[in-house]
Amino acid sequence: MTRWKKFIELLNRWKKAIDSLSVANLNHTTTSICDEDGTALVNYWQRGVPVYREPVITPTLLFFAALAAIGLTLALVRFFSPLGPFSGMNDAYAWGVWKTFNVLTLTAIGSGPLAVGMAAWVFNREKLHVVMRTALVSGFLFYATGLVALGFDVGRAWNFYSIVMPWRWNAHSAMLEISFCMPVYCFFFLAFENLPLVLERFYYTGGETTKAFLVKCAPTLRRIYPFMLTGAYLFPLMHQSSLGGLMLLAGDKVHPLWQTPFLPLLYLLAANLCGLGFVIFLLLITCLHYSRPLDAGVLGELGNLLSGACFLFLAVRFGDLVWRRQLGAAFALDKMSLLFLLETALILVPAVALRSRAVRETPRRMLNVATLACLGGLLYRFIPTTIAFYPARHANYFPSTPEWLMTVGYISLGILAFGLAVKYFAILPGEIEDWHHMFRVVRQRRSEAKLKGETSWPESLSTQ
Amino acid sequence: MSPAINRRQALLGIVGLGGTVTGALAVPAMAAESEHPAHPVAAPDAVAMLYDNTICTGCKACMPACNEANGLPPDTALSGGLWDVPADLNSKTKNIIKLYREPEAPGFAYVKRQCMHCLDPACVTGCPFESLKKSDWGAVTWNGSLCIGCRYCEVACPFEVPKFEWDHWNPKIVKCEFCYGRLHNNEQPACTAVCPTGAVIYGKRTDLLARAKDRVAASPGKYFENRVYGEYEAGGTQVLYLSKVAFEKIGLPKLGSTSLGHYATEVTSVIYKWLSGPILVACVLGAVIKRNWNRHEAERPEREKKTGLRDQL
Repeated sequence: MTRWKKFIELLNRWKKAIDSLSVANLNHTTTSICDEDGTALVNYWQRGVPVYREPVITPTLLFFAALAAIGLTLALVRFFSPLGPFSGMNDAYAWGVWKTFNVLTLTAIGSGPLAVGMAAWVFNREKLHVVMRTALVSGFLFYATGLVALGFDVGRAWNFYSIVMPWRWNAHSAMLEISFCMPVYCFFFLAFENLPLVLERFYYTGGETTKAFLVKCAPTLRRIYPFMLTGAYLFPLMHQSSLGGLMLLAGDKVHPLWQTPFLPLLYLLAANLCGLGFVIFLLLITCLHYSRPLDAGVLGELGNLLSGACFLFLAVRFGDLVWRRQLGAAFALDKMSLLFLLETALILVPAVALRSRAVRETPRRMLNVATLACLGGLLYRFIPTTIAFYPARHANYFPSTPEWLMTVGYISLGILAFGLAVKYFAILPGEIEDWHHMFRVVRQRRSEAKLKGETSWPESLSTQ
Repeated sequence: MSPAINRRQALLGIVGLGGTVTGALAVPAMAAESEHPAHPVAAPDAVAMLYDNTICTGCKACMPACNEANGLPPDTALSGGLWDVPADLNSKTKNIIKLYREPEAPGFAYVKRQCMHCLDPACVTGCPFESLKKSDWGAVTWNGSLCIGCRYCEVACPFEVPKFEWDHWNPKIVKCEFCYGRLHNNEQPACTAVCPTGAVIYGKRTDLLARAKDRVAASPGKYFENRVYGEYEAGGTQVLYLSKVAFEKIGLPKLGSTSLGHYATEVTSVIYKWLSGPILVACVLGAVIKRNWNRHEAERPEREKKTGLRDQL
């Protein structure tokens, strides 16, 4: 109980801090850049800047590292142990949380690169380019950890080599589409999109040869970049809808409130709203944690898009219910109907709230509604796979302890990697002033280290 | 931007047009031939089983016969290690006789459960690498060298037949395969071969369906709903049932007549036909992104000059 209180206290402290960070209160002196409308707008987010004021290893990070270590150790044990004693899964509930949560559900909030990227590159929301890196890294980590989860979930992983033999494919299977599309997207397109921020570090830390080489490579990279972007949006459009398509085959086993031919489209729209919501959530949480200024323009834009995404999802959701004449079931107020109403409320509240300018300009409220939207989207994606999934035979499923630990472990691995990445790479948006300050700090640290006779600077970024 | 289009844009336009035409062609092509029709028609040589629970005496002779033919170990979990007493179909049991007892009235009924060998099986539609497939005579068989153990078949099957070896390091999917090896040796499945009363019989699907309908016609009112279960269920199955009690009571679910494969692939098979949908989307996305990218790149020198730093991607 006291622990819970402490948590709430911490949360309140965070919330107070975020209030004080409110854009209106900021008196930063930065170069102002005109936006396309020509109105002067102070732009606090100008480019990705590494987190350099903090030590790389923090107790929080160690905590997540420990969780990740437990999860991965169990995953290794799982590889040499049958699935049965390890998990709560059974023949009726053949899919446990590794598939239904880590893959089917969490890749929705890993769809930031799709949602924000499409807005930036296809729909020309120029402001959003600056938050792309946050979306890209978090999305990559959600996908990568999801795929690791999948690898330890399947019973006969060694037969997966068939994926490179198209003549063995069953082209009608949504599962095939996913098992091909997701790894290719994650380790090819998404990895490529993440390449510039890695190379950038090499550029600033490397020697003359590295620099010259990277400068030589840059035009090639930029030449293929738009084509890779096309793939990076086409592939998730395909597999995020196929994830919904998976549950189509389960037919009547899925409750009629969720079983619909529109499942693929709804899963995609849920990925869209979760992606946007999570990017807002992540930006606010990290900028708060690392005391970065916020940018009202970018956040407002994201908030606008999130509101639209929520309304679009709800329109299709209700249109589908009306078309299938399930509105009665939706408001029957039984267990499933209440679940539906909860899920809908979680999406409706942000949709409506974000129409208000006051909400969009108050970071604290933004954080709250973005969290709600994420939860709503996640709930929508999770329910048909497990809670509203009724096999005919009497069986129950509840994740076993190792299952929980592994699920938490994969997520912790993602958090750990993100926590490290923001310190080594220019991911989180910041000010140009901050970028210059970082170089000054690093130079100073290096000269101090030299004076003390240390040959290498042990912590954080070491540049130039 | 200049109004004249360059070579690359022209090329993109042509590819985009090609994609559109492909897409437009794909739709009628799809309507003409479908691999998952809503109401599949059985192949003329499709085999079948007919089970009639007014004849079955519950002797369970089919169960050890099945175990022997398939090399399955006895399931002794319920009998304290003595006899084969499976509680239901499981990874050691491909065939089972179960008893249904009316809760208050004195009536009872047996049911034989095994794979239904659907005409358009959901498990086969879902299986990513055709590990489960519709083999000769319509038997649904499993190929261990292709299976990745994803268990989508278990999620998909409306009859919940495929079972997974949860306690094995190298788990198999266990399900009735219509004694596929025996069929190839011109033998009938072990369960029908051994059945002493003829409660379950083997034959061509067309013959057995006609026979079942004759039985219904001969004694109206004897059988539930005066119909054969499996004629239309989930698009039709190759195991047919006649029952004196309601089908749901003996564990046969109420299902529509449309095949699940049709329901699940109705839209996607049009979109993904010859990859026309993805190609079309790629062309449109590619053209828009390229245009926006070019503008973004054109503005880059200005941005870099303003900030004095290299532009970030």
